[in-house]
Amino acid sequence: MTDPRDIHAYLGAFDDIPGTRVYTAARARQGYHLNQFAMSLMKAENRARWLADERAYLNEWPLTPEQRDAVLARDYNRLLDLGGNIYFLSKLFSTDGLSFVQAVSTMTGMSVEDYKAMMDAGGRSPEGMRSIKGKY
Amino acid sequence: MARITAGIASSHVPLLGVAADTGKDRDAYFGPIFEGYDWTRAWIAQSENKPDVVILVYNDHASAFDMKIIPTFAIGCGERYKPADEGWGPRRVPDVEGHPDLAWHIAQSLILDEFDMTIINEMDVDHGLTVPLTMMYGAPEAWPAKVIPLAVNVVTYPPPSGNRCWALGEAIARAVKSFDGEDLNVHIWGTGGMSHQLQGPRAGLINAEWDNMFLDGLVGASQKLRSIPHIEYLRETGSEGIEMVMWLIMRGALGRETKALHRHYHVPCSNTAIGHIVLEPVDDRVPPSATIEGNDAAAQAAI
Repeated sequence: MTDPRDIHAYLGAFDDIPGTRVYTAARARQGYHLNQFAMSLMKAENRARWLADERAYLNEWPLTPEQRDAVLARDYNRLLDLGGNIYFLSKLFSTDGLSFVQAVSTMTGMSVEDYKAMMDAGGRSPEGMRSIKGKY
Repeated sequence: MARITAGIASSHVPLLGVAADTGKDRDAYFGPIFEGYDWTRAWIAQSENKPDVVILVYNDHASAFDMKIIPTFAIGCGERYKPADEGWGPRRVPDVEGHPDLAWHIAQSLILDEFDMTIINEMDVDHGLTVPLTMMYGAPEAWPAKVIPLAVNVVTYPPPSGNRCWALGEAIARAVKSFDGEDLNVHIWGTGGMSHQLQGPRAGLINAEWDNMFLDGLVGASQKLRSIPHIEYLRETGSEGIEMVMWLIMRGALGRETKALHRHYHVPCSNTAIGHIVLEPVDDRVPPSATIEGNDAAAQAAI
């Protein structure tokens, strides 16, 4: 029913999607502690400690300096590049009091208002956004 | 004996739970979304349509599972599940009551059928599971149906293929048919989707044409949806549109042919296209198990 699949071709195709980081095993490995740090913010007592002193809290986690800086800067595109996954990172922006729309819009280079207006008008068109090589 | 009488698919956007819990579900923004569920709420309240048990296919969003353990397919066999604290306090909705007799029967049957399930006895359930209950039932004192949670990994790649999901649905149908306990009207719900991307510069992608092609494909005798590769979901429906493979578990469990009783599509809800469909089996036959254990009378007698 399903054609045999070359795992390298399967994974390689993900890099052909514009503006998208697919959460592959490589990213999951790279971002393991980053995502587990974000996950820790599910607990109220951890959120309180985090809000009291972000740097001290981050030092309890074996993150790379790049990951630490990106967390402090709330640079979500960079966090994706460093192995973050949006469902885990949502614990971080929820603690900041941001909704999904507010946080997600920061990755698009648009203002929240412009992003919301785009969504209300039917969302981002897939035209030209499906494939870098194929340009369709 | 137990019988699958209907399949329901629905998006499970967390904001829908917030809207319902804060009384905004009929305002200008959310009204058009919730109105599309009014038909289903009236239909499911009628005694002949009311399920005793819902097999609810969903994905956990970093709530019960973190990166420590990533089950591809997991089935809840516990007595009850509490709404998860997803970082802003648990939703004030009823606990979810399980059906351990049927759940354990399905788990054992699936494993003998060579679907190597993870079994969960205790976990909290997040918006992926409680939002669909809210959409179908509103805000009752207790959920009117027992629920068997069936969690699918659609976060860490690779998720299961669409074909595998469909085949799991067929195996669930065989398992439900062989249940020799009480008489049960069983629903299977597939949740998540439709097109949405929550990350990166391409966030906000919506593909109404593709989504409606997918809704069309759930109806009738076609099996073409089962061969859609992951890359197509990613390109056409956004990185989180992959959740739609979970709808194929629902579709596979309904057998050879379905008809649609109700259908609803709306853009946007937050970052997401809302899709909802109610299906009934027309021909609920599924292929026999291909496994040695599944075809073995002694093995069947043991489950």
